[in-house]
Parts: sequence; structure tokens; C-alpha cells
Amino acid sequence: MNTDETAMDTEPGSSLSGNHLLPQLVAHLREHRAKLRDEWASRIRDAHLLEAMTPQEMVAETTSVYDNYVEVLETGSVEALQHYARDLSERIIPRGVETHEVVGIVLLLRDVLARSLFEKYQRDFGLLNQILDAYEPAANRIANTVAVSFVDERERVIRQQQDAIRELSTPVLPVRERLLILPIIGVLDSERAKQLTEQLLSGIRTHRAKVVVIDITGAPDVDETVANHLVQTVDASRLMGASVIITGLSPTIAQTLVTIGVDLSKMNTIGDLQGGLEEAERLLGYSVTRKEVSEGS
Amino acid sequence: MNSGPALVSILRQGDTLVASVHTALDDSEMIRFQNDLVRQIGEVRARGIIIDVAALDVIDSFGSRTLRSIADIARLRGATTVIVGIQPEVAFAMVRLGMDMGQVPTALDLEEGLAYLARLRAVGAS
Amino acid sequence: MRVLAAEDRIEPGMIEPYAIATVRNVMATMWRRDDREVRNRHRVFDPTQPDDVENVLVASEEQLAINEALRRLTDRERQVLLAHEVSGAATQMLADEAGSTAGAVAAQLKRTRARLRVEYLLALDHIEPPTDRCRPVLLALSSADRRRQREVDAARHLLECDVCARLSEPLLDRGPVRDDVLHVTIGADPDIVSARRAARDLAAQAGFTGTDLTMLATAVSEVARNIVRFADNGDVTIELLERPRRGIRVVARDMGPGIADVEAALQDGYSTYSGLGLGLPGARRLMDEFNLVSEAGHGTTVSMTKWFDPKGSA
Ligand SMILES: [Zn+2]
Repeated sequence: MNTDETAMDTEPGSSLSGNHLLPQLVAHLREHRAKLRDEWASRIRDAHLLEAMTPQEMVAETTSVYDNYVEVLETGSVEALQHYARDLSERIIPRGVETHEVVGIVLLLRDVLARSLFEKYQRDFGLLNQILDAYEPAANRIANTVAVSFVDERERVIRQQQDAIRELSTPVLPVRERLLILPIIGVLDSERAKQLTEQLLSGIRTHRAKVVVIDITGAPDVDETVANHLVQTVDASRLMGASVIITGLSPTIAQTLVTIGVDLSKMNTIGDLQGGLEEAERLLGYSVTRKEVSEGS
Repeated sequence: MNSGPALVSILRQGDTLVASVHTALDDSEMIRFQNDLVRQIGEVRARGIIIDVAALDVIDSFGSRTLRSIADIARLRGATTVIVGIQPEVAFAMVRLGMDMGQVPTALDLEEGLAYLARLRAVGAS
Repeated sequence: MRVLAAEDRIEPGMIEPYAIATVRNVMATMWRRDDREVRNRHRVFDPTQPDDVENVLVASEEQLAINEALRRLTDRERQVLLAHEVSGAATQMLADEAGSTAGAVAAQLKRTRARLRVEYLLALDHIEPPTDRCRPVLLALSSADRRRQREVDAARHLLECDVCARLSEPLLDRGPVRDDVLHVTIGADPDIVSARRAARDLAAQAGFTGTDLTMLATAVSEVARNIVRFADNGDVTIELLERPRRGIRVVARDMGPGIADVEAALQDGYSTYSGLGLGLPGARRLMDEFNLVSEAGHGTTVSMTKWFDPKGSA
């Protein structure tokens, strides 16, 4: 505050580069950190942003975002900026914050700080202009980088989560030569059922499977659409030369299958996975046994 | 086979005919293929027929039905037909479409198809 | 000068027809027209049917907007544009006349088209942009110039300016010049294979994979066969959609005898000739959306869509 006049005097006509003014600007933002941060936080509240956060989280987040922001302004380095944006995104994405919110709070901070600079330097328009010339490009760069980085990071996280869910939920397990198990765990929707069928069918080709055991013990709900998928999966596997055994069929699901007109007698269903595996072994060894018998006779 | 060299080949292997479809066939070509194959079944008194459709990226209602008619006619002449090489995506699309191969046996590929026919012969021989 | 010669031929009262001819070439997206086409697409094609009143109204509204947009160009911009689009003057010829290069003229034409699109949208809605930044932003979007968009900070402006946010939609929607529509004439058996190949190629190019490609190709095969069997000839249009999301739309049209009982035709097993009963209901199961319109004596139009699902496994 009390260094205003001095600073102005020591920076005569520094319109060529605003960078000379940045230290002064940063010092101002540091000095009034608490007040500006609170003002910013209240603007965020007024704009109904970050409502998923508790008041304590808000204080913690705004403090840390504020400090980093000033630091980036000070150093102006691209690395610091990207690091800042990534860090912000990583911390904030898990809380379900939307893109417009993150862009919104950064723009609010930019404006809160700009207003404070305006108040401080309004008596000298020449200096004010220079200060704003120094401040605005830097502030806009931060806002843009944060927005871009946030969107990237958010997409990456979502992709990662989807991959993880897919991998976890639809493993096609080669148990032994020619035998695949497909344990279906969790709620099946039409989309997942389709993915599952695709995985199974390409698994049949890769592993040259002759028998597939689909265990649906872990699937709590099977509606008509999914039941249809199940039937289609069985039929498609057959077209590729693989037999399907279904295990863990609950009475409810069996009822659903009958309702949609599936002839259960044409489906190879076995009560539990153990029984299904035994049946699979029998199917795989079946021809050998028959052959030996026929050769022996 | 006189429907052009590139589309389909039919090879004889003992009492088995191995027919490979090399490329997408339109409906008329499909019919010609059926006629050629059926004629050869009679000529060589084939007991087994393998139709390899691995090269087909679509088997629609007409394609499915033609394959089934071939198998039906062959059965009436005492021969067993195995369809081999249906690709995963094709199999999925076929069942979505509402087609299946009925009682016609299917196998993963040519090797499996031949093994199937060999097993069948072994059982039949007993 | 040829440019001036072209200008000479445009008498004051004649600017409208020229403007319409011009803008039909220039506007890669006339989204209102697109809307109308989409709405009419399910109708059986009948060349004797006159344009309905609504179409005429919309058309005249468009003409006024086009006129106004042309007026807002500079004289030079308008001259070059009209000489190129209306009189068909090649860029090289225009360049020779102006003592410039073909590349420079092409770039100028591109800028002019971009401006025309912006002014057209503004004129159509009878609005003036609220800020000085609006036009530069809209122009950068209209010319699909990403560098310029960054320079004018277009993304931020769209967050702040409602007018531009709204106008940017048709501008961004413009996309590339239609290399995303394929027509296949259907008259004989081999055309069935051509149609499904075309569909598969376009869909693969658009990012479809695996089962979705095969399902699409199979469905196209069925509707194309229906044309060959029922109507002798017709055509299949395959179109890449970007909105509301990415997808492939297939429209199969014929002027054949039509289907008497559409409901029955969509039941499994229905067939008016031997051996085919699964085609249409099967195609419906393979696609996400399916619509069939048929009129006895006028023909049949099947319109079906498969949406791209990025979650689908590759
Ligand atoms: Zn604007």
C-alpha cells in the first residue's frame, strides 16, 4: 500500500513490458490474500458454484488455488501453469465438479483480483492501464489453460474408470484348453450385455473354445432385454461351433426366459458353477470316450 | 466350378467336399454356388461337406437361407454339411437378425470341421 | 474485367435470384433447409407434389436474409464471390484479373464465405451482435480457423455471450463439405453388395467398429434386397450424422408398388414372396431406429439409424 508512489516513480513509462509491474502486482495480491480470498469465496457462493463442497473444503481449496494462482502469475512459467491446472483438476474432479464450474471459479478469481487492482490504482490511469496490461494476458492464460486441462483430465479419468469397470465386470476366463468361463457379475444393462457378447465371441475365436460356461449367479437382475441378449449369446456361440452351459440360473430369471418364449429345454442349464464345469469336462471329453468305445467294440 | 475362379473354390478330399467362399457373393452368385455345389455332391457321392465362410463379412437372411438349403439338400442325398468360419461379428449380427443354422452343425474353422466329420464317421462306423 | 462483367449482369431487381444461386453454393449448411428435409424424409417421394406453403414461406425468409447478408459484404468481396459462384469464374482467372495469385483469391473467397454465413445468420434472426468482439469470434468460428479462434479467445467469449453461443451452433455444425453422404442406385443383385459395402466404409471412417459395422451392413443388405425384389429399382442413401450425436442414417427409397400392410410386414415371418420374411423386422432389430412409410402405388421409404457408441468395445 505505502509503496504505491515509489513503485510508480521507479517504473516510468514501462508500457513496453508489463513484466516490470508483475512483482508489485504479486506483492499486492499476497498482502491482501485473506481479504481477496474471502471475497472470491463469497462470489463463488453467490454464483452457486462448487456447491458439492463443505465450507471447510471451500476454505482449504480456495486458499490453495489462490496461492498457486499468485505463484503462477509471479513465475509466469508454462510448467508451473500446467502443473497448477493439472493439480487443480485432479483434486477437483473426484468431487463431481463440472467443467463450467471450474472455468467459472477461475474467471471469478480473475475478476476479483482485477477489481482489487482497479481500486488500488484508480487514481493513476496510466499506471492502472499498465498494471492491467500486465495482469490480463497472464490471467486469461491461466483461465484458458485450466479450462483445457480440466476437460482433458476429466475425459481421461472417465475413460480410465470405464476401462476399469469393463475389465472388472466382464472377464472371459480361459479355464483350461477349449473351455471358457464367463462370470457375469453385477447389474446387466443392454449395453453391457452387448459388450459381453462381443468379448465372449472374440474369446471363443482366440482361445478356440469348444465349451463356454456362462455363470450368472452374480447377476441379480435380468430383464427381458437382457434375457434376449443371453439367448442371442448362446445362439451366436453355437454358430461359432461352441456349446454354452448356463449356470446359476435363479428361478426368477428362468421365469423371465420362459416368459419371453425361450425353450429352456434347448438351453443347457446346470444349477451351480461346479456342476457346470463338470458338464463342460464331460462335453470336452465326450468324443474321446465315444471314440475309444467305438474303437474298442 | 465355373462361376469365376476368384469367388468360390470347391475341393474334393476323399468323400468330403471342401467349399471355400473367397469373397462377398451377391444373391445370383450365391444361387450359382448352391447349384454347383449340389451338382458336385451328386457327382462325387460326397458323405461330408464343409463350407468355409470365414471370408464373408456379412451373412444376411438370404445368405443364411441359402446355406441352410444346401445343407438340407445334401442331407437328402446322405451327406452331412458343416458350416465353418463364421466370424464373431457375423455370428452376432445373424442372431440379431433372427437367423440361425437350424440343425446344421457349425465349427470354428476348417480343422474343427474336418475333426467333426471324422468323429461322425468313427461313430457311424461302430 | 470479368468480375465487373458478372456484376453488370446483376441488375438491381435481379439480385435475388443471383443471391439464392450463390448462397446455395456457398452455404454448406442451411440448417433450416436441413430440418425441413429431415422432416420430409419419411414422406414418400412424389415429384408431382407441389412445395407446401411452409416451404415457400421459409424460402422467402431465407432469401431476404441472404440478400441482406450479401449487401453487408464489401463491393469487392461481393464481386469476386458472385463472379466465382454465379458466373463460375475460376480462381486462377480471377487472380489474373486482379494481378493476384489463385491461392490468395481462394483464401479471400473462403473468408468471404465465412463472413456471408455470419451475416446471413445475423440477418435471419434480425439481430445485431451485442459486443465488438462478437463478429471476430463468429468469423473465426465460421471459417473453422482454429488459430484465429485462439487469438480472439473464442471459447471464452462463447461462455460469456449468449448471442454468439446460440449462433455458433449452426456455424460449428457446418462441418466439412458433404463427403459424408453416399448414394447407391439399386437395380440388381450386385447393388445389394455395393450398398452394404458403402455403408460399412462410411461407418468405419466415422469410427464404428466390430459388431456395429456388421450389423449396419447386414441391415443395409436387407433393405436393399427389398428394393430389388419388390420394386425393381430405387436408391439407398447413407449419411453420416453428427447431431444429436454421431451416427449413420440409411434411407432406402423406391417407387415400387408399396407395402399394403406395413404392420404385418414388420412381423417375423411375413412375406409376400417365397423365402423372405426376416428382412425388414431383422433390419429393425439390427438398427437403433427404424421407420417405414409405404403408400400403395407410390413406393416405400425405409429410414433407419445406428448411433455411434463410444463405450462400445473396439
Ligand atoms: Zn458475442
